[in-house]
Amino acid sequence: MGSLSYLPQILVSGLGIGCVYGLIGIGFCVIYNASGIVNFAQGAFVMLGGMVTFVLMQRAGLPLPVAAVIAIAGVAGLGVVVERLVVRPLWNRNATMFVMILATLAAQIVVERSTLLLVGDQPKTLPMFTDRPPLMLAGVAISYQLLWIVGCSLAVVGLLALFFRTTRTGKAMRAVAIDREAAALQGIPVSRMLALAFALSAALGAIGGILITPTQFTAFDIGVPFAISGFIAAIVGGFGRPFGAFLGGLTLGVIQSIAIVSFGAGLKNVAALSVLLVFLFIRPSGILGPAK
Amino acid sequence: MSILRVEGLTRRFGGLVAVNDVTFDVAAGRITAVIGPNGAGKTTLFNLISGAMPPSEGRVVFDGREITGLAPEAVARLGLVRTFQLVKLFSDLTVLENVKIGTHLHARGGLFAALLRPGWAREEERAVAKAAADLLDFVGLGDLADLPAAGLSYGRQRLLEMARALAARPRLILLDEPAAGLNAEESARLSAIIRRIAAGGTTVLLIEHDMTLVMNTADEVVVLDFGRKVTQGTPHEVRNNPDVIAAYLGGVEIGHG
Amino acid sequence: MLGAVPWVFAAGLVGYALVAGGYMATVVSFALIYAVFVVGLNLFMGFTAQVSFGQNAFAAIGGYSSAVLTTMFGWEPLPAMLTGVCGAVLAALVVGYPTLRLKGHYLAMATLAIGLITYEITVEWQSVTQGYMGISGIPPLGLGKWTVTSDRGQLVVLIAIVALSLFAAARIRASRLGRAFFAVAGSEEAARALGIDVARYKLAAFLLSAGFAALAGSLFVHVVGFVSPEVYGLHMVILSFTMLYVGGIGTVAGPLIGALIVSLLPEAFRGFKDYQDLAYGVALILLLIYAPRGLSTLFRRREARS
Repeated sequence: MGSLSYLPQILVSGLGIGCVYGLIGIGFCVIYNASGIVNFAQGAFVMLGGMVTFVLMQRAGLPLPVAAVIAIAGVAGLGVVVERLVVRPLWNRNATMFVMILATLAAQIVVERSTLLLVGDQPKTLPMFTDRPPLMLAGVAISYQLLWIVGCSLAVVGLLALFFRTTRTGKAMRAVAIDREAAALQGIPVSRMLALAFALSAALGAIGGILITPTQFTAFDIGVPFAISGFIAAIVGGFGRPFGAFLGGLTLGVIQSIAIVSFGAGLKNVAALSVLLVFLFIRPSGILGPAK
Repeated sequence: MSILRVEGLTRRFGGLVAVNDVTFDVAAGRITAVIGPNGAGKTTLFNLISGAMPPSEGRVVFDGREITGLAPEAVARLGLVRTFQLVKLFSDLTVLENVKIGTHLHARGGLFAALLRPGWAREEERAVAKAAADLLDFVGLGDLADLPAAGLSYGRQRLLEMARALAARPRLILLDEPAAGLNAEESARLSAIIRRIAAGGTTVLLIEHDMTLVMNTADEVVVLDFGRKVTQGTPHEVRNNPDVIAAYLGGVEIGHG
Repeated sequence: MLGAVPWVFAAGLVGYALVAGGYMATVVSFALIYAVFVVGLNLFMGFTAQVSFGQNAFAAIGGYSSAVLTTMFGWEPLPAMLTGVCGAVLAALVVGYPTLRLKGHYLAMATLAIGLITYEITVEWQSVTQGYMGISGIPPLGLGKWTVTSDRGQLVVLIAIVALSLFAAARIRASRLGRAFFAVAGSEEAARALGIDVARYKLAAFLLSAGFAALAGSLFVHVVGFVSPEVYGLHMVILSFTMLYVGGIGTVAGPLIGALIVSLLPEAFRGFKDYQDLAYGVALILLLIYAPRGLSTLFRRREARS
């Protein structure tokens, strides 16, 4: 049992992982708003973010920032590939929701197993972005990586808000989210928005993956727990509200780190999943209420 | 004797009042029709009676027992069974299997009966099959028993849905626009079938657009407009009621529907 | 008459394995174990048209009950197996009651989470499950002194169990219970209007499905003699769905045909083993796009047209 004096420390580390869950949760919302689809392959993007960056640094000797940028772009590209090869054909055939879920889950497995074949099953990690001892603030240790995670996440969320509010494409995506048919009638290319949503959401996942990997590790099979955590974040925030999802992620992160202190690190996923179940059973519309 | 009493029934959707303070009785053993232009609240009224949605206000009394807000399956168990405006068949199954499902309430076989098929279960299955076949003959679909339900014409699907509802042996059957999509000849046959249902002791409450069918079939007519009851009476009375002519019959021409 | 084709095909393959023995018998044994699992999945998803991505949880409960009770407490395989199945059905009751009220994506994610929670527990509860190491030395199927150790003997037992499972599925399909399942699948609204307690039948299908899953999970550990968390991982879900879609969802023979084809196909290609799960994933995606009701329906439509 962690004593109360650890509480600020717990909160701080919870906020770090919470930012990443938030980013993944936003990714869920972006695709959901564009299409009504919940992409169960979301976790693959998170895993690949860290993994591709690692491979680029190790095998091609690229510096971290370059490797990270290439990885994000590459994963975004993969997002479009998933959309074109898996989601689009089903979408055109009016597949049921269940078939869509199963297909994206299968895509998750395909990415997972391909990764296993290419890089093996050993966990990989990335160096800390800034390799210095943690800052001490009022008795609470704050690692530089945490500052990177929070800083980058907030920057991404800010940019995203700007994108949705000011750019033509961003406004079009919001219009699609509100009413797909009306948007189509107004000449917004709804199908291109779907591809864009997958690219955006894959990039968000990859960023989350790159940010978190230095604090833990990445391996071919870490995707699904991250996806579920991101999904929980999206639900807690009221599904379909991107910024609600970010807050949901922070909430989940804190709950999870309290659970780690109370029950041990091994059960952190069990704790997160239990939050999901409890939430679904008691309040499926989220803290902020449903999006529409 | 009234078998169904609807009292001050009201249902609001946001600012819209779909059904507004509607009160009427359905006499046992007779055929009562609810008519009114599109959007008059007829289907909502059926949904409130059958338990598909709870009313905002008012109550529904079936056979002396209040059933307001009961779940649809509980309402069905008491002997009140409905059909749907847009036919809801089990389209992957055969015509006969659809009707067999209708007998659900009057059989009791569970897992044990399914796996071991004791004597009573075989007996029960035979009875179910016979009842289903008889009902198909009753609505004139006897020859089509083994076809997939989805393959039937729309008019026949309506008849099948009716046979399936009858298989539940209701004391009151709610028919939601049974003549929609039927041609004149099918509609006439339907009218005869409905009369025979009532003659067999099952009370009928139906919603209908086809005025010929209503005038030829119903004993009693309730007229709704904008969610309110305009009047109630025999087909003859209703036809000559100036309010009805204004609200409904006249409205057809001026595009009220 | 065409309906007999899949049965003849299955009987031929299984018969061949029985005669050939050895490796072929082992491969077909695995296929049959999976067939039991998929029969259960089919009851819930094919007959009742409900969604669960977490049936592997119940297989894990069955498998670990068998493993722990026989190795740590010296139980006979049969009572251990029975306990596992009952435990899984009980767990399904506890979990299913709140879960099955959910709809759509929430139901899908909740069931996926249940599978994952079980996986994490099998990894973390080391004092009982021995974590990633797994449990070995699990005794083979048997009763008292009489144990089934040969490949052929195991195959015979599994054939009997699969035959019984398929028989059960066929009988359920033709019964009041099965009709209620199909009614729930066809239209919940219409089913309720006919007095069918939809929630109750969903739960019943879920419990049955969990029972079959646990039976399969338990059979696996007794046949292989070893269990680890990976046995019941997410790939089990994808694999079983692939089998169900290959064989034909909602049909009686589908689970067996699908399990046989999907298990035997990789054996036809050398060096294919490494790519197995990858290939299942790709195959499943292709099937969902091009033959959403299963391969068998693809054939049937062709035949009907010509």
